[in-house]
Amino acid sequence: MPDILKGVTVLDLTQNIAGPFCAQLLGDFGAEVFKVERPGSGDDARKWTPPAWHGVGTAFLAVNRNKKSVGVDLNAPEGQEIIRRLAGKADVLVHSTRPGSLESRGLGYDHLKAANPGLVYCAISAFGESGPLARDPGYDPLIQAFTGIMSVTGHPDRPPARVGVSIIDMGTGLWAFSGVLAALYRRRETGQGGKVATSLMETGVNWMSIFLAHYMGAEHIGARMGDVTPMTSPYESFKTQDGAVLITAANDNLFTNVCRALGVPELAQDSRFNSNNQRVVNRPELHVLLEARTSRITSDECVALMRQAGAPCSTINTVDAVYRNEQVNAMGMIRPLAAPHLPDFKTVDLPVSIDGEKAFLREAPPALGTHTDEVLGRAGYSADEIVALRARKVVG
Amino acid sequence: MSGILDGITVIDPSLNIAGPYCTQVLGDFGARVIKIERPGSGDDSRKWRPPEWHGESTGFLATNRNKQSICVDLDQPAGQEVVKRLVRDADVLVHAMKPGSMEARGLGYDELAILNPRLVYCAISGFGETGPWAAKPGYDPVIQAYSGIMSVTGYPDRPPARSGVPVIDMGTGLWAVIGILGALLRRAQTGQGGRVGASLMDTGIAWMAIHLLTVLAGGKPPQRLGSGVEIVVPHQAFRTAGEGWILIAAPNDRLFQALCEALEMPEVARDPRFNANSQRVRHREALIALLEQRTLARTAEAWVPVLERAGVACAPIRTADQVLADPLVTAGGMLVGLGGAAPPDLRLINLPVMIDGQRAGRLDPPPKLGAHTDVVLAGAGYSIEEVAALRAAKVIG
Repeated sequence: MPDILKGVTVLDLTQNIAGPFCAQLLGDFGAEVFKVERPGSGDDARKWTPPAWHGVGTAFLAVNRNKKSVGVDLNAPEGQEIIRRLAGKADVLVHSTRPGSLESRGLGYDHLKAANPGLVYCAISAFGESGPLARDPGYDPLIQAFTGIMSVTGHPDRPPARVGVSIIDMGTGLWAFSGVLAALYRRRETGQGGKVATSLMETGVNWMSIFLAHYMGAEHIGARMGDVTPMTSPYESFKTQDGAVLITAANDNLFTNVCRALGVPELAQDSRFNSNNQRVVNRPELHVLLEARTSRITSDECVALMRQAGAPCSTINTVDAVYRNEQVNAMGMIRPLAAPHLPDFKTVDLPVSIDGEKAFLREAPPALGTHTDEVLGRAGYSADEIVALRARKVVG
Repeated sequence: MSGILDGITVIDPSLNIAGPYCTQVLGDFGARVIKIERPGSGDDSRKWRPPEWHGESTGFLATNRNKQSICVDLDQPAGQEVVKRLVRDADVLVHAMKPGSMEARGLGYDELAILNPRLVYCAISGFGETGPWAAKPGYDPVIQAYSGIMSVTGYPDRPPARSGVPVIDMGTGLWAVIGILGALLRRAQTGQGGRVGASLMDTGIAWMAIHLLTVLAGGKPPQRLGSGVEIVVPHQAFRTAGEGWILIAAPNDRLFQALCEALEMPEVARDPRFNANSQRVRHREALIALLEQRTLARTAEAWVPVLERAGVACAPIRTADQVLADPLVTAGGMLVGLGGAAPPDLRLINLPVMIDGQRAGRLDPPPKLGAHTDVVLAGAGYSIEEVAALRAAKVIG
């Protein structure tokens, strides 16, 4: 995968999680990414500590590899001029400032495409770029609340829960990236760039596709079911002697395997349970019958029995167990990526490979402003000009 | 974005959610998708009901628009031959079989690349294609358990909860789309296809990237915090009068003051237990109890305008029907009817990304099982007699 976007230059005006994750993916695919940050302070996420690693927020470190850091003040007219010059030669620009604010600085898509018609311009917003909430701020948990995700997550006897990973922020970064790839694919034929737009809210609504279809088609309003998945059974966790395991049987064959593994093969023929439809309707009874068997053995014993029988099952792992897991490491998902300012740094690789290769992990997340001089120099600024801009704090 | 993948043909023997969601997005981007299903029964997800809509599972309907359905038995040599003939003129193949089973049928990448070197072949697996767990079946909740997502979801006094939305299945589908787009871009330069691999497990690990780095940095494994987050207070759901909850986020001291004023309890912002985020994190429970006494005084709908005026980020926690009733969702084009022969009330959720202001280029309803077998085989050069013979032998349906 390293060479796919080789030669593509990306101007990354984003901060926090969604935009930086999109730009990191462009870098992972081989593009050269210039991360433009406020001189002095930089991306807000650098300071989201604790937890920190070598003084930098771990969330920042998770989404900023394979980038060069350039300190430019976008509020100064000379800073805006630097962006225009860089955008004139770039292939992609990604930003996540509020709708209207780049336009007011003369850096909207219409401004930049005149000088560079091949530019792919990607705008990431909270609620979309039009409509009554266009200028409202959005955060991952807020959008999980707004789009109904929290209403279907957690246990029924507790308030709605947030999905514990940033599926809105990282998901929006993924959608932005797929839009940029599609626009680059189109550009190879037409030579024309285009404007890609996505938002946290639209991402949340799309994650809810299946629940929204349940409602539109059957007026079924999804509820919190703890660990249970509504339309399949068994598809939930079961107590064991020393904890719990998650068992899923998405079809009748797998259900037969589960019953065999637990020594209750007769359940697979029982008319209450012999089709998914029946199992969903009679879930509580089935749960009790299966748990009567799982609770006699340990979680590890249960996983081993299920594996032997070809039935899907897992222990419910904590983060440290995931880090140590042999299958995770066999797939090369966690790799070292050394840098002088981040000794022992490791990073999570992409979950997709092309011809067996995952991301080309070249560079650790940069210290603030490391590449300002190099990037401005390549854009034609003389050493004297750079010194003058730095003295006026336009760059840093 | 209509037309971006115009002229691209996708052969799709995948089933359940991840693979079908991937090929649906490819169809949304303009590709022609030929869904290959088992004669008679079809994709397992057709049976994932209740709930259902027009007799079809809503889970199936949400992930199978913009496709043609053909029924071919991949266990019979004549059925394998049908796939090979289709692959000759195709651009992409997406499958979600156990590692090794396509190869055992003569449909692995190496065999198919000889027939069509431009083919982009995408294999979606549960736990990856190598390593000790490669043969183990994986499903969304299993991987949510395995990758640690459940350990950080739900309330600490309850067992781990599953993310209610299938973030492993849909996320893997999206990663597969990204790999395929990358491989198509490369093909445009080199003329060569390639092999894309994605797995449910890898997707789970990628969702966990931030938590994993925290552990790598020497931190403790993160715990379940219900609706809250570890490092900012308040940033969670509060009870209100009536049924609803409201999520309130005050990620800095200024917004916390604004919140206290809006809740008419300005003294709380000055209380030394609460006047800095680090203090609020320390005294989380006492503060939440105080704030909730106030939020219980009004409904969520009544609080939203009050808090918004004060500049405090908030949202009511909404259910699926409330999301659909929101004009912002419906007017923004995220919810679309299908027109044509589709049932008039059948509506689907559009892509959350636009190119030049456009979403999916076309929206064909999810197909009836085997609706396109004859037309697709005729297009691949099978005669009417051959099609009849294959149907009689139950190779196709």
